[in-house]
Order: sequence, then C-alpha cells, then structure tokens
Amino acid sequence: MAVTENDVLEEIRDQLEAIKVPGARDATPDNTWSELDVDSLDLVELVKALEDRFGITISDDDLKPIESVGAAIELTMRLHDDKEGAPA
Amino acid sequence: MPPPENAVALVTGGSRGIGAAITERLRADGYQAVTLGRTSGDVQADIGDPESVQAAFEQVRERYGPVLVLVNNAGERRDGLTIRMSAEDWEGVIATNLNGAFHCTRRALDDMLKARWGRIVNISSVVALHANPGQSNYGAAKAGMLSLTRTVAREMARKGITCNAVTPGVIETEMTTDVVDKLVAGVPAGRVGQPVEVAHAVSFLCSEEAAYVNGATLAVDGAMAA
Repeated sequence: MAVTENDVLEEIRDQLEAIKVPGARDATPDNTWSELDVDSLDLVELVKALEDRFGITISDDDLKPIESVGAAIELTMRLHDDKEGAPA
Repeated sequence: MPPPENAVALVTGGSRGIGAAITERLRADGYQAVTLGRTSGDVQADIGDPESVQAAFEQVRERYGPVLVLVNNAGERRDGLTIRMSAEDWEGVIATNLNGAFHCTRRALDDMLKARWGRIVNISSVVALHANPGQSNYGAAKAGMLSLTRTVAREMARKGITCNAVTPGVIETEMTTDVVDKLVAGVPAGRVGQPVEVAHAVSFLCSEEAAYVNGATLAVDGAMAA
C-alpha cells in the first residue's frame, strides 16, 4: 500500500511527542533535528518507530545524512517504495 | 513509574549458582523470570555470538514478552598465569563474560527503550577491582563490564532505564568449589557469601525504589575490596 508524505509526517510527530520533544505536533518537514533538540538517542527511537510502522529497515549509512524531518520522510517513502516494488 | 506487571526478567546463566538464586528471587518479586543458558535454561544461546543472542531474544519475546529486566550473569573461568595463558583462553573468557553482556544488553535495550522502563544488572566480580593472579582474562572481562555498566547508564538515564553492577566476592557455588578454601582467608567477613546474598542486591537494583541508582557498583563481598 502506498505511503503518503503526510502518513510519515504524522508518525514522526507522534513519535516526537512520545519522546517529549517540545513542539512535536507542529514539526514540519523543514525542521532540523537540532532545531527540535532531537539527539542521537531520540533519533534511534524515531528510526525504530518508522521501521516498525512502515516495515522497513533503516541502515546506519542511510541515516547518516538525514538531518531533518523532510529528509526522514523522503528516506522512509523511498525505502517503503523499494520494498513494495521488490519481487515477492 | 513502576515496572509493567508480569514484566520479563531475563537472567543469563540463570540455571545454577548465583544465577539460579537471582532467578528465584526475581520470580518471588513478581517478575516473569526466564533463564538463558548455553545448553540449559528456558532459552538457549551462545551469548558470545550476536546472531545466536538475537535469535534467543526473538524466542523470548514470542514466548514470554519483551525483556524489561536483564541480568548479565553468565560467565566462565579459565584460570592460568598470564605468561602461560593461551589466546584461546583469553578470548573465550572475554567472549562469554564481556561480549555476551554487550550482545544481550544491546538486544534488551530495544525492548526497554520502547517501554521507557528497564533495569540492567551486570554481575561483575571483586576481581574487577582487586586483582587475583591467574585471572587476567576473567578480571579484564569483569572490569570491562563495569565500564559498560557506567556508559549504558549515562546513555539511557533519561529514558527510565538503569544499568548497575554487582561485584560478588567469594560466593559458594559449583564454579568456586576449587578455590573457596584458599580465598576465604582474604575475606574480612571471615566467611564465604551465599548466592542468595547476591540475589538480594540484584532484587534491590531491579526495584522501583532503585530508580535513581544508576551506573553504580554494589559490592557484595564481605568487605573484600574495601
């Protein structure tokens, strides 16, 4: 099933809220982790939530250049599409 | 926050000696205590092997639930003076005692982070603090566990997860029958300790009352390292 940008954004907001990031509900794709005060451990929690929710695996190499909400959305959608498009 | 009801407490090497006493005590405390052993226990794994550990954790999750308490207790000794110690004996002891604690900790943290609650207790040893000739491999592994303990404590502190260590002294178990008589002379308390005395300390560190005790090393050694 296709995943929309909004699905991923909502999941990210939910997760940021769960890990008590101030302003989580208002996070936008333009926000960087440093603006949101998301540290490396928060990011690990966020990645695990995205992996569980969308059935993907995010490697450390994939994660390294991801510095914003928008980049995380893009990566999640790409990995999800790759998985869906893969032969069974 | 109290521990979730009936939370799973995984005790490595929990079938005998100190591990069995810890398992029994945690069960009495209301945990669903599960033992992991190489050939015995509720679930089997070679804890020196990350893939084997991952498979065992998957089994535990399926059969019992997420692991919210982990007691890294499994250990082995292969004593010998450093000058004559084989690389195999060095590496084997490091693999079981130290690498095993790391592999299990890493897997358990996944569950603990999700629950935002967790207790890790590493069973180190008095020899981590007070060297014993013939145990350079065991002592190095147990000292490494103390550093692992403090680092994990700092990393996870704000997530409701604690990581502490216990350093037992001379405890009367199958593993120490060959050395008890020789070592007891160096124990200020004048006697050996019992496995249940270590279990009491572990029980406290796993309790809600110990929520602010994090990165600590609790000696249960009759003042041997004091």
